[in-house]
Amino acid sequence: MKKILTLFILFAFNSFSKIDIVSLPLRDKVQLTIYNSADLTLVRDERVLTLKQGKNNLQFSWANTLIDPTSLDLIPKQEIASISISQLIYPPRINEVGIWEINSKISKKIPFEISYFTSGISWEAFYIGIISNDEKSMELKGFVKIINRSGEDYENASVRLVVGKINLLEEIQKLAKRYPPYGTPSEYIYPVEKIERVPVMEYRAAKGMLLEAREKEIIKEGISEYFLYTIEGTENLPNNWSKRLSSFSQKDIPIEYFYKYEEEKYGKEPRRIVKFANDLDHKLGKEPLPDGTIKIFKYINKEGNLSYIGSNITKYIPIGEKVELDLGQSKELKVEVKKMERKTKNYMFNKDGNISGWEEEEIYKVKVTNYKNLPVKLEIKRNFPHQYWKIETDKSVEWEKYDLTSAKFVIILKPMEIKEFTYKLILYEGDRRN
Amino acid sequence: MKKFFLIFILFFSFSFARIKLVALPDREISYIRFDAPFTAFVEEERILTLQKGVNFVDFSWKGVNIDIDSITLTFLTNKEKLKLLSLSFPPEGNSLVWEIYSPEGGEEKIKISYLLSNIDCLYTYKIIVDKNEEKMNFSAFLIIRNFSGEDFEKGIFTPEFGKTFENSVKNEETKQILIYQKDGIKFEKLFVFDASKIIWDPETVGKNVGIPAFFEIKNIKESGLGEFPLLHGKIRIFQIDNQGSAIFLGEDNLKYTPIGESFRLNFGETRDIVVKQRKMKEVKINVRKNNSGNIVLYDTDEIIKIEIENFKDKSAKIELLQNIPDEWDMEESTHKYEKVDANNIKFIVELKPKSKEIIEFHYHRRNLRDFPFYRRDLK
Repeated sequence: MKKILTLFILFAFNSFSKIDIVSLPLRDKVQLTIYNSADLTLVRDERVLTLKQGKNNLQFSWANTLIDPTSLDLIPKQEIASISISQLIYPPRINEVGIWEINSKISKKIPFEISYFTSGISWEAFYIGIISNDEKSMELKGFVKIINRSGEDYENASVRLVVGKINLLEEIQKLAKRYPPYGTPSEYIYPVEKIERVPVMEYRAAKGMLLEAREKEIIKEGISEYFLYTIEGTENLPNNWSKRLSSFSQKDIPIEYFYKYEEEKYGKEPRRIVKFANDLDHKLGKEPLPDGTIKIFKYINKEGNLSYIGSNITKYIPIGEKVELDLGQSKELKVEVKKMERKTKNYMFNKDGNISGWEEEEIYKVKVTNYKNLPVKLEIKRNFPHQYWKIETDKSVEWEKYDLTSAKFVIILKPMEIKEFTYKLILYEGDRRN
Repeated sequence: MKKFFLIFILFFSFSFARIKLVALPDREISYIRFDAPFTAFVEEERILTLQKGVNFVDFSWKGVNIDIDSITLTFLTNKEKLKLLSLSFPPEGNSLVWEIYSPEGGEEKIKISYLLSNIDCLYTYKIIVDKNEEKMNFSAFLIIRNFSGEDFEKGIFTPEFGKTFENSVKNEETKQILIYQKDGIKFEKLFVFDASKIIWDPETVGKNVGIPAFFEIKNIKESGLGEFPLLHGKIRIFQIDNQGSAIFLGEDNLKYTPIGESFRLNFGETRDIVVKQRKMKEVKINVRKNNSGNIVLYDTDEIIKIEIENFKDKSAKIELLQNIPDEWDMEESTHKYEKVDANNIKFIVELKPKSKEIIEFHYHRRNLRDFPFYRRDLK
């Protein structure tokens, strides 16, 4: 239902007597800029007003919507030098009404833009990834879903989506519910009178649901620290409806499909990881990928049947950055790490004869089994209690220092292969650290 | 709604017999200043018709909250001849009686001033940054919140910012008035990584760690401002986009900024600059022990490595704040830094588009003690 009303009321000179209600201008154009990091949409509503020379008053009301009254703005699009908007009045004891005072040097029809923030319209990104049979490439499809719970219908709206994190001091929803719009100087709550509503026409949601012959294009561009998606043409967004649109689709993205094992982070099961980068080498890199849910499937045969691998929430991926998707536990691979030996040695004593330092030596055996008929790569991360450590391994295994207190082993397994290796960890304690 | 009553009561000579009740003079004009929180200082001008001799002027109010001790009366005409003899407060409250002596009869202009509660003002601001991020348009608005119980039909408002203007404001009305607008304001955009507040290594948390983005504006003539001190208020920031429309970049509080000072506005975060900070070394050196072999004093040898990657196709200025506790000496640093105070240093890096920079600094913390009983201040 249309809930925003614009009454264009003319006042002659400085008199407060209402002379004439000239027009009830309808929306000519509406643009929605929807944010995903905050419950906020910037609405730009274009209407043509017939101005008389002198003082003109424009009443704007928005009962039962989620509009932030402190965000209201009115901008003339023509004859800017002849028109001044001196003030915006929130009348006493009437909620959800604002009156602009427009001083005009001319009598003319002028297009105006009314802009405001509303809460209740949101959008989210959503992805589907389909991994090839050989686990070397992936098809990635991106979608955007727009949800309107603002209380207002938006017909033929041009829709823009903003990717990025804005700073907001107060929630728009709270500002929409606050009366008076800027609060009061004291804590006293003033009673509110609801404005009498004029019955307005209800729009049927079905009107906007006509199918189009082709999918709409989404134009993408960077602005400041954000990214702006502009959906081609206009959309109908009735209240309480949501809509999903395709954002992009890319086939044959080279990926690295591998496994990770880290007891402290994931427990004793290895995790499946898909790695790629948002760059040209990976046939992407045209736009940052907004955060959203990703569902990963895999082709299991030549007939194109799929199996569901897992789902995750991706973080925002700037152009050029690598991404690792954690697709959950895997039974395709087994990792067993056992402590086989522990001994202490190389004791040091102080001059009172007490222990002042020693070394701890631990031997671990790692057994990895690949149950798949494809080769796999596994990364095992081992964490240590402190930074005073040393590792000795068989030559058969590759490892690197990850940071102060951890090391990473990389193991490549052939299909159905079992691999075993041992490593010795030496921890230096007390004066042995110096 | 009129809530003030100025009853002009005339008495002849020194007689106490009330003879004539002349007029209820309307206020001519009110000067309103917002000097204190939730309160306005009101000065109103009125014309009184005084008789020769002693006159009693009764001033009363209803439904408004006036600080009774703040009420003063000033003569604007015949200042030398008119005398304010006394001021008395009747027992019923919310009123007072002035005793005025006039050597001759006639019309006199007076000013009544008082502090009125539940009326105040707020400041809000709006910035529109141009498409190429070169200049901005700056607007300031005064929000008058009048819940005082009184209507002001002809008020002269003097905000602390901007020019004096005339307006009317009804009781329980809120008004947003544009008081200042300026185009072509210069500014600088920068990013701030404060190592004491931001997650060091985004890989450890598996989510984006945004770097706060700021606009820095100087309140000076060269920037296009510098006319008034800027008062505290919410500022909403927009930017013109490629479609000729504008998007909302974010909002922040503008802090009180005197002329000559600058302010920073944190409008949002960038996720196209990624900072990874890791401690690569932390070992004890110069260990000194007591006779029992316990460590009493030591230094540390520490290395911090910061990788900053700019994924944007624009250059970016980033400030990196680092806290080093205790006594310390810098051994080596790949980049110049500014010492902010005893325990804080600041690196400023200009990153080219799509570039990566690595800062590494190596320092020793000196004379550390693990046991509090060795500390002189705890003895």
